[in-house]
Amino acid sequence: MSGLRPGGGAIWLRRVAAAAGRGALRLVPAGRRDWAEAIWAEAYEVPSGFRRLAWRAGGVRVIAREALMARKIGRWLLFAVAAALAIRANWPGPPGRFATAIARMDVVTTVLLLAGLPLLARCFLGPAIYSRLARFLRAGGYAAILALMVAKASVLRGVPAETGPALQFDWFAQIVFLVVMAGYVAAILALTAPRSRVAPATLAVGTGAGIALGVVMYAVAPLGLTNDATEPWLPGAAIDPVVVLAWILLLGGPVVAGAVAVLRYRGPGSPQQVTNVRIWQGGAAGFLATGIGGLLVTVLGTGTVALMPRAAWLRNLLYPGQQLLPAVAYSHEFAASERVGGYGLILLAFPVIGLVMGLFGVAIGNSATSSGSSPGGEGPPGPEPVPDPPDRGLAADAEVGTDEPRGDLPRWNEEGPDNEHGEVTAGVAGCVDVAT
Amino acid sequence: MRSRSEFSAQTLSVLSALCEEPSQWRHGYALAGQTGLKSGTLYPILIRLADRGLVEACWQEEPAPGRPRRHLYRLTAAGLASASGALASASEALGSAARPAARAGARAARTGRNVVTPVVP
Repeated sequence: MSGLRPGGGAIWLRRVAAAAGRGALRLVPAGRRDWAEAIWAEAYEVPSGFRRLAWRAGGVRVIAREALMARKIGRWLLFAVAAALAIRANWPGPPGRFATAIARMDVVTTVLLLAGLPLLARCFLGPAIYSRLARFLRAGGYAAILALMVAKASVLRGVPAETGPALQFDWFAQIVFLVVMAGYVAAILALTAPRSRVAPATLAVGTGAGIALGVVMYAVAPLGLTNDATEPWLPGAAIDPVVVLAWILLLGGPVVAGAVAVLRYRGPGSPQQVTNVRIWQGGAAGFLATGIGGLLVTVLGTGTVALMPRAAWLRNLLYPGQQLLPAVAYSHEFAASERVGGYGLILLAFPVIGLVMGLFGVAIGNSATSSGSSPGGEGPPGPEPVPDPPDRGLAADAEVGTDEPRGDLPRWNEEGPDNEHGEVTAGVAGCVDVAT
Repeated sequence: MRSRSEFSAQTLSVLSALCEEPSQWRHGYALAGQTGLKSGTLYPILIRLADRGLVEACWQEEPAPGRPRRHLYRLTAAGLASASGALASASEALGSAARPAARAGARAARTGRNVVTPVVP
């Protein structure tokens, strides 16, 4: 037993605790890290043994609270559960089948993307903007993409696999699809990160236009894209008003979103800087308007096609007043599953259209502002400037690679809203009152 | 003047400890020993007081050899005024029993009971 020394276990435990504490310091928001480091440094003054361990345990408690770990852990748990459910839904299937392989590849790749890209985004762009809309966009985007993978797998299982060159094309298309999905995840993370400098108004107007476009597009094409002027569930006019509305929202929505984003932007800087930022705001608003719309209609449409064989109520809703014989129902389902691939075009084309049309909106917005005032001057009333507070960028920068002490975080940052810390510390004090 | 109810008993004990030598920088372990508070209780209080501008903090310039720098704390002018007011209120509330209560508070702080320890500078 030469390897064991008296007290060796305690020493090992203390070393582990010390290492864990040093690692945990990285989780603390930049503005609070001094305090966490202080507790840890002070532990060296505490007599070694149980008292020092108790001191560090208290430090870990403070660090955990300051790092808002409960919330982070909650988010990660939620994601883990959703990811596990998606994997469970996609995994079954006879091995060797194209649909099974694609379903597994889709879900594993997507989960890895959703888990890994935020870490990269945090390094390069900082944590999420502290706003409910940004959180909604991230959570909604994640949920939509996971749901899309499950729905797509379900649809693919009902489609006979191609062979030969067609199968190779299918594999290629699936890989392109995953690349597009990676682009969507990256775009969601980037547009909701502080260093992308997307103003809250831009996020709001882009999201609103995107949801409207997605809902109307879903009404137009709930079962994949088709060449028909109208779908059977629409009234049947040669040019249906809903289709017209969809075109208006597709082409006009990003223009309006871009123009509004420009008009709402009132930030500091030289006229040239303001103009550049406005171009970015307008482009981002247009991109969001169609990107969100495209993702929404794709998820809803693919989900509808996936549900069709299982839900009679859905078939009745889509084909009102028709008593579908099983063969006819299957025919509709098969046709729909063949047309689902059209959503891939939407996913690819819509953001490009939105970006271009958003830039048109920038031109309109700029001309409107310049006709009334100089850039950055007296534009139409807009409450919020771009989120560019004095030290959040620094704090975000600092989180990447340095441990220098930093100032308090402004309200809009994920980790450091003043009110949150107030609540945390007040909550701690409240707990203290009760506990001691 | 801040009312007594604005501070918890533990916060008052920290303020009291800091008030004893308001111009001196104090470190966390000394404050913990003086107040009987554990690190998980003491530091959130210090953080909250610093957020409110009542306590200022700095890093030790010349740490002991082989030791990390220590974080030091003392009351700001506003903190001193606020603490004096709060502790005076606490003392008044306790009235003539302040002195025995102080002793009881010191014991309570060590044992974790919720009793104010007023030390008016």
